[in-house]
Amino acid sequence: MLSLYFVVIGLCFIFSGASQEDGVGCGFTSSWLESVVMSMKLTKQGFHRDLVYEVRHEPTSHPVKTLLLHRLPNGVYMDQYQLADLREEMGLQVLLDSALDLEAPAHVSSAFSALVFLSPPEPLQAAVPVHGRYHKASSSGGWERVVIEPPRLLLRSEHCDTVNPGIPHRVVDAPCTVQNQTLCSWLEVHGLQVPSVSVKLPVGDSSLIIPVCAVTTLVSLLCSAFLFRAVWKHGIF
Amino acid sequence: MSRGNMFLFQLMNFGTLHSVAFFIRLFLVGFGIYQDRTMVVKYTDIDFHVFIDASRLVTLGESPYNRSTYRYTPLLAWMLSPSIYLTSHFGKLLFVICDVLSGVLLYHILTLRGLSSDAACHFSALWLLNPLPIGVSTRGNAEALLAILVLSTLLCLQLKRHFTAAFLYGLSVHMKIYTVIYALPIALFISNHKDLKNHYKGVFRIIQSLFSKDLALFAAVAGAMFLGLTLTFYCMYGWDFLQETYLYHLTRRDIRHNFSPYFYMFYLTVESEFCFVLGLVTFLPQVILLLLTSLAFYADLPLCCFLNTALFVSFNKVCTSQYFLWYLCLLPLVLPHLRLTVKQGIGLLLLWFTGQGLWLAPAYYLEFEGRNTFVIIWFAGLLFLIINSVVMVQIINNYIPKTIVQQKKKMK
Repeated sequence: MLSLYFVVIGLCFIFSGASQEDGVGCGFTSSWLESVVMSMKLTKQGFHRDLVYEVRHEPTSHPVKTLLLHRLPNGVYMDQYQLADLREEMGLQVLLDSALDLEAPAHVSSAFSALVFLSPPEPLQAAVPVHGRYHKASSSGGWERVVIEPPRLLLRSEHCDTVNPGIPHRVVDAPCTVQNQTLCSWLEVHGLQVPSVSVKLPVGDSSLIIPVCAVTTLVSLLCSAFLFRAVWKHGIF
Repeated sequence: MSRGNMFLFQLMNFGTLHSVAFFIRLFLVGFGIYQDRTMVVKYTDIDFHVFIDASRLVTLGESPYNRSTYRYTPLLAWMLSPSIYLTSHFGKLLFVICDVLSGVLLYHILTLRGLSSDAACHFSALWLLNPLPIGVSTRGNAEALLAILVLSTLLCLQLKRHFTAAFLYGLSVHMKIYTVIYALPIALFISNHKDLKNHYKGVFRIIQSLFSKDLALFAAVAGAMFLGLTLTFYCMYGWDFLQETYLYHLTRRDIRHNFSPYFYMFYLTVESEFCFVLGLVTFLPQVILLLLTSLAFYADLPLCCFLNTALFVSFNKVCTSQYFLWYLCLLPLVLPHLRLTVKQGIGLLLLWFTGQGLWLAPAYYLEFEGRNTFVIIWFAGLLFLIINSVVMVQIINNYIPKTIVQQKKKMK
């Protein structure tokens, strides 16, 4: 299953425009595509955030399927089990391309991709929980900024073949729906001006390493000695 | 007697107390279902979902370790399999029942230790009506299973049923590896139990007594139980089982914030070369104190196990709030023997809660507000260690080891 996701992600980078048959006249027109707007924002504070996506477009005669292909950096993770619960509770449709370690710090983790399917009714939106990973301590402490670039927006019309309306857009393959992971042709919409967002995560201050080690060891030894004395005095040997 | 006191008196009666304890928990399980359905903040603990996922895998014939972060014995996943077939709340009901049964065990141990029925009820109420264990079991944590195993081991040892005790102890070590810290006090207790008037003194008596028949039986049964289960599950689930159930807990050095006084030090030094030395420096006090307490107090096993657990948890490299239950279930056995006044007792309790509160506030700001409170959390962790040490020293200083004092007098 996971390897399938890898294949999918790989395929997403391949152009598949040339072999497309002509649609039945219900494909996306360039002018309609200009009405498509996407936004992304982060809500909440701290290590546990929500990535809120929203896609708006002019009304169409036929239902439009929307998929966000989001590459996320190693500084954050999504919890597949939490996503499974949210899918059951609220119908949130998210697939991850790889199994993620939920506990590892950022520097030993890798980036991953999330496939977020947005379903009508409008507005097309989803709030996906994303969690910050612990980062290596830095020499000045403070915060580490993890930048989250905007996702790629893919559209598909249920009853029409996907046709490339011309540059800058292109046709790519990606899973059809969250349940049916066979590949469909999607139109990747380019030219959207979506600003990236960032998570500021607190990090330890490695310039404090010596005082921290010294005081911790001292307190721990003093407490041990304090306890040792009491046990020695009242113990029955 | 005022009406209020009468009511309290009746409440403390054995049957009433346990029924009240059970219904409070049952009500909270029900409330939890309601809250989970209607509110954003969930009542059920994340661990409970992990158990249920693992249990589902087990019923499908798969390994429970395919659920990441499942770090428990497969027995637990099996035990919860009715959750998959009947209702997902089965697990919570099981934990709640275990919780109340722990209260029954406490009551029996206390009466065996010479307390009147009323007094035993009062002290077991400290567990049965305590919001901490109530919260933990109704939110779906499995700590009550371990409380029941540890307490029944102690009860069997007190009743000199060494075979059953060994069986239960082997099972507890299998369930949670930390209970291995009770091995030395239990061994000393079994072998010294009968002949305190042995002509050897001090360390020699201890060494000589390590070779008794009772002890050999206990070690064989507990060892067979533990190794049997380990081998069975190793054959079924392979390396994953060993890694997740035992090795993870032994080698765990979580750099994310937790109650341990060492957390910030390990976070800052996680990749430096003297990390190993620091590990040793922090490991030694823990081991020395555990050895000394075992030798000093083994004759009073509940006190010894309580102190060992409290020491182990306070000086551990990782400490979360669930760990507090490991010693809290033994506290009602220790309290009746304390010379402390109610005022002093409440003072120590408040001190302990203050220590926790002072840690929780900056930890909340770090995790949910993104403030850089690492240094404050570190200070709070150290303060919590100091508070724990003060509480433990107060308990040691004010403990009246009745039976031991009498035996000592006889020896002289």
